[in-house]
Amino acid sequence: MPPAPNNPELRRQVIAIYKHLLFLGREYPLGYNYFRSRLHRAFMAKAHLTDEEEIRQGIARAEFVRKEIEAL
Amino acid sequence: MFRTAILRSAVGATRTAMRPIPSAAARRLAIAPAPRAASFVPKTVSWQAVRCYASGGSLERQEVYERIKQLLSGFDKVNDPANITENAHFANDLGLDSLDTVEVVMAIEEEFSIEIPDKDADTIHSVDKAVEYILSQPDAN
Repeated sequence: MPPAPNNPELRRQVIAIYKHLLFLGREYPLGYNYFRSRLHRAFMAKAHLTDEEEIRQGIARAEFVRKEIEAL
Repeated sequence: MFRTAILRSAVGATRTAMRPIPSAAARRLAIAPAPRAASFVPKTVSWQAVRCYASGGSLERQEVYERIKQLLSGFDKVNDPANITENAHFANDLGLDSLDTVEVVMAIEEEFSIEIPDKDADTIHSVDKAVEYILSQPDAN
């Protein structure tokens, strides 16, 4: 379990982008399960972040990945 | 479109029947089918309107629980399907992290064809909370 969030707005954004990426991953060429486990690992690797600026950078990276997947 | 199809078939029919029947009678034959088709359409519409939206939709607690249990046992991150009980906590009893919980909530949304807003999704941490939430939603089915 990641540490309790001190900024609910950022938490909401992270969950929203996670949901969106999961949704896009349904049509991933290597299969949904492959995509899901990789996505989960990528998000969990950033779960320890507490600095708001770093979290914002993570969200920006997720947005970038979202655009890449949409372009597939 | 329907009308032109009828007219075309009627024209074909009159062409084959042209020789024995006088042309005035053939024209009457061609016109006759169209009003009958027009009166048939509203009948279908009123038949569909009979379906009562409010009549169904209430779910049994046991059935909701069974469906959520089914859904969770198909979820490969649950540590042990035997741990899925009526009041199992997603994180403490089933070994799911917060992201898995998000996935479970998404799966529940899909299973019961509802949409759970973010603030409600945050409060669903355990099987009984999920069952409660589904029962409180009239649209769930």
